[in-house]
Amino acid sequence: MKEYKLLITGTMGAGKTTAIRAISDTAPIVTDVANHDSSVDKARTTVGLDYGVLALDNGDRIRLFGTPGQARFDFLWQILAKNALGLVILVDNARPDPLADLAMFLDGFATHLETLPCVIGVGRTDTHPATTLEHYADALEARGMVFPILPVDVRQRADVISLIDTLLGQIEAGMDMDLQ
Amino acid sequence: MIDIDNMPAGLRDAALKAATACLADVVGVTAVVIATVDGFDLASALRGNQDAARIAAMASSISAISSVVALEAGLGSFKSVTINTDAGFAIVQAVPRADIELVIHVIADHDAILAQAMHRAGVMAKVLAGAPA
Repeated sequence: MKEYKLLITGTMGAGKTTAIRAISDTAPIVTDVANHDSSVDKARTTVGLDYGVLALDNGDRIRLFGTPGQARFDFLWQILAKNALGLVILVDNARPDPLADLAMFLDGFATHLETLPCVIGVGRTDTHPATTLEHYADALEARGMVFPILPVDVRQRADVISLIDTLLGQIEAGMDMDLQ
Repeated sequence: MIDIDNMPAGLRDAALKAATACLADVVGVTAVVIATVDGFDLASALRGNQDAARIAAMASSISAISSVVALEAGLGSFKSVTINTDAGFAIVQAVPRADIELVIHVIADHDAILAQAMHRAGVMAKVLAGAPA
């Protein structure tokens, strides 16, 4: 049996807690508290970590960790990224500048992303189509990065599973290359 | 939602007064930061170049994670946690208020007496819990 530690990060309100809740086999551990930032219409926000577990059909187990979204908690990003095998970055297309949001996390995890497989999940593309997936791909390319980019509704288990599947595929491919 | 920029002046004043007095009165204390539970510094008193915003964020995370540990273990509500180190200690103390939950973060060096700092953090929590909004 393999154990994978995957990290889910992204802006406040992008749906990190919701995504973990959507796929965790156990009641997730959440550390959300009252939000006092009126720039985001959200009653509660994660300030510690989220945690959930997902068992795969082959017996492997995924431990899912979610980060806080705000940059003032970047000290936790580094702690939580330790020993992670992959990173999911969730972006909310309804925010004013989702590409800048993505850039913040690419910068925040820059050292880790030199070796860590990553997948980008973009939410609310149906209601806010102005920024397209091609725009995200271009932003990654400008940094010399190529990661899968998927539209996602984090409330839908199938969507979140698809993100995780994509990331696991990258991890497996990386392991195969390491063995060659 | 009460926005961080519109916190009640009475509460902000009480927090600043408590933090300043703690830093002045308790030997070895190097920083007192009073923050909202989501990591915004409401008031602080610091020696040196410590970053109140960063301390506030850390206090928030420590408080939230401690709360979950207490909950999962069936130990009730989080009150405080002490981090002992070889050079001093840090105390994170909850301030239970119905309107705005706060956390107090006291950082002290090896000159401080742990029991004295813990007692003072507890007193500050009671004062701020009862401070007018």
